[in-house]
Amino acid sequence: MTDFDAIVVGSGMSGGWSAKELCERGLKVLVLERGPEIKPDRDYVDQLPPWEEKNLDRIAQEEIDKHYFKQYPGVAYAVKESNKHFWVKDDDHPYETVEGTDYDWLRGYHTAGRSIMWSRQSYRMGPQDFTANKDEGVAVDWPVRYDEIKPWYDYVEEFAGVAGNLDGLEQLPDGVYQPGFELTDAEKLFKTKVESSFPGRNVIQARVAHLTNPTDEQRELGRTNCQARNRCHFGCAFKAYFSSLHATLPAAERTGNMTLVHNAIVQSLEYDPEQNRLTGVRIVDAETNEHRFYSSRLVFLNASPIASAMILLQSKSETFPNGLANTSDQVGRNLMDHISGAGANGLIHGFENQKIFGRRPGGIYIPRYANITEKDKPYSRGFGYQGGASPLGNAGGQIPGIGREFKEAHKSPGPWRISIGAFGEQLPNPNNRVTLHPNKTDKWNNPIALFNVSYGENEHIMLQEANKDAAAMLEAAGCTNINSNTVNLTVPGNRIHEMGSARMGNDPDTSVLNRWCQAHDVPNLFVTDGSFMTSAACQNPSISYMAFTARACDHAMKLMQENII
Amino acid sequence: MKTRREILQGLIVSIGGSSLLTACDGFAKIAPTVDGELRFYSSEEIELVTKISDLIIPRTDTPGASDVNVSGFLDGLMAEWANAETRENHHRDIKRIGGQLGDSFRELDEQDAKNKLANLDTRAYAADRPDEYSAYRSLKGLITQAYFASEEGRLLEQQWVAVPGRWNPRVEI
Repeated sequence: MTDFDAIVVGSGMSGGWSAKELCERGLKVLVLERGPEIKPDRDYVDQLPPWEEKNLDRIAQEEIDKHYFKQYPGVAYAVKESNKHFWVKDDDHPYETVEGTDYDWLRGYHTAGRSIMWSRQSYRMGPQDFTANKDEGVAVDWPVRYDEIKPWYDYVEEFAGVAGNLDGLEQLPDGVYQPGFELTDAEKLFKTKVESSFPGRNVIQARVAHLTNPTDEQRELGRTNCQARNRCHFGCAFKAYFSSLHATLPAAERTGNMTLVHNAIVQSLEYDPEQNRLTGVRIVDAETNEHRFYSSRLVFLNASPIASAMILLQSKSETFPNGLANTSDQVGRNLMDHISGAGANGLIHGFENQKIFGRRPGGIYIPRYANITEKDKPYSRGFGYQGGASPLGNAGGQIPGIGREFKEAHKSPGPWRISIGAFGEQLPNPNNRVTLHPNKTDKWNNPIALFNVSYGENEHIMLQEANKDAAAMLEAAGCTNINSNTVNLTVPGNRIHEMGSARMGNDPDTSVLNRWCQAHDVPNLFVTDGSFMTSAACQNPSISYMAFTARACDHAMKLMQENII
Repeated sequence: MKTRREILQGLIVSIGGSSLLTACDGFAKIAPTVDGELRFYSSEEIELVTKISDLIIPRTDTPGASDVNVSGFLDGLMAEWANAETRENHHRDIKRIGGQLGDSFRELDEQDAKNKLANLDTRAYAADRPDEYSAYRSLKGLITQAYFASEEGRLLEQQWVAVPGRWNPRVEI
């Protein structure tokens, strides 16, 4: 008899889904969260008006140097004085990089993890993304094709709530959407100009995990429409954007089957070689340093690709001297992110008599066209652009003039500016990896992460081309004052789309997980955070983690019912 | 040493603001520094910053910079947020701006001071944005950010709505 039917490690984007799906199928589920509890009523700061923000909501510079020296530079647009409790203190949670490399490990340790701080862009992977490795002879083939995962995308989108438009693009399949956020007229002009000047390129509404027409189930969970406040990085009292805290964890909670334990840092998964099964999970309490063991029939790792890989690497045994479920030696390897640092902005004309009302959560998206509708590229794979057009305003004070006229000028919406920035695909590379530091540990005596990740030639060439393309599209739209970045690739990890550290594949010798996100080596272990990704595609990945998690839970339940696990 | 409030009370009169010192009771809207000793600026510095901020954002049919305590806010910002390097740079910036405006600036009446500052502003925002005026541009940015972060600046001037409730991509002006 075990303490629980299943243990879910991590309460974030995918862990919430594991909890929901397994609880709703009747399992008694323990969810282990390494950080403290977040209570929206107490911890959200989305309703704080600007004039009550301390110091323009800037974290004190000395505090940044002491506590947020990686988090703040990595994601300064989101890490503020009022919400800094959503982000880890770097001195409490150190990591290192191999000399000559850099890595941004940007994290939130608390209930729902980074699902309360994400940017909510939600795009399906397309058919081409599941065949690219095979077609190009890169890494290993995905053991799944789009048609197999499509119904699971439908399922998770319906529950999560995604606002978007049906655009009919094969490479970026449509989903189950609530009404999208209409483009501004400037964006519509840009769309017309780009699509006529560059046949095969499209400009569409961003697809974002926000409610615009909630279902009955979403309302039952206390969620309601997006209020167009753009306060999402501070939480959402309306629960309008998807997060584990707003949606999946409450859904699990209401079954009566979930036990959620905070401050539980998983140190290892315990393995029984005779049964070839996991028996449970060992944790250390972050507050008391107490060590505990919880037993279960099934374990879902949803700690995030880096933490999940580290837990596996820490779980050594006679059977698995290099880490649990690591006979392929692929755990911790093939670590991917998306790449940015290319794009353009400029003024777009003809809309001086318009302004906007409300602050929507997403603007435009230009789906990948490289090596899909345009085959003449000096690189493989491709990128999408995110961006938007809106009045520039005069805030910030950097316009000429003083006095009444200067003050009045701030009431004007100012010229309209459009900007687009690329998110490109990073190729899998087994040398890009996270390992356990050989001799450094954190304050709980767990090895710290050691990163060795760098970009290859394809990423560099791709972003150079993305920069040129961005400027060309703005020129085609008649923009002026075009600024095209000097390409400056983002630091690996900076897009916070960690992927690939326990990839899925058909061959146990070259992959960690099978087509169900189930460990080849250990049948009652599933890893359904971004670790499973065999390649990165270029779309924001969270909705894919959700779909694969729901599918894996369904499969695990069937195996349990058949007493296979 | 004069308190910030005492200095501001004098300044509001000196640059032509009607007394309206009751407005000072609402000072603290955005200010870490309220009544009490200055924490960062010298009395000469805050005198200059206050005068500049009220010329950049004067009281009109809505409150001006002093009414929402912009200079006091910046005093608190430098004391609480800035590190030693930023503080040193800001002191240097104020000194430089003072030098560019001339020693007589503090004594000039409102119109003459306005002309003097407008002249500096014109030079600072010339097409090539000369480096020698970066200190002024930086201060102007801080003053403007502080003002529009205030309740009055955000609500009365920018018509900010806390909960729009909907998205409208097209509002004709």
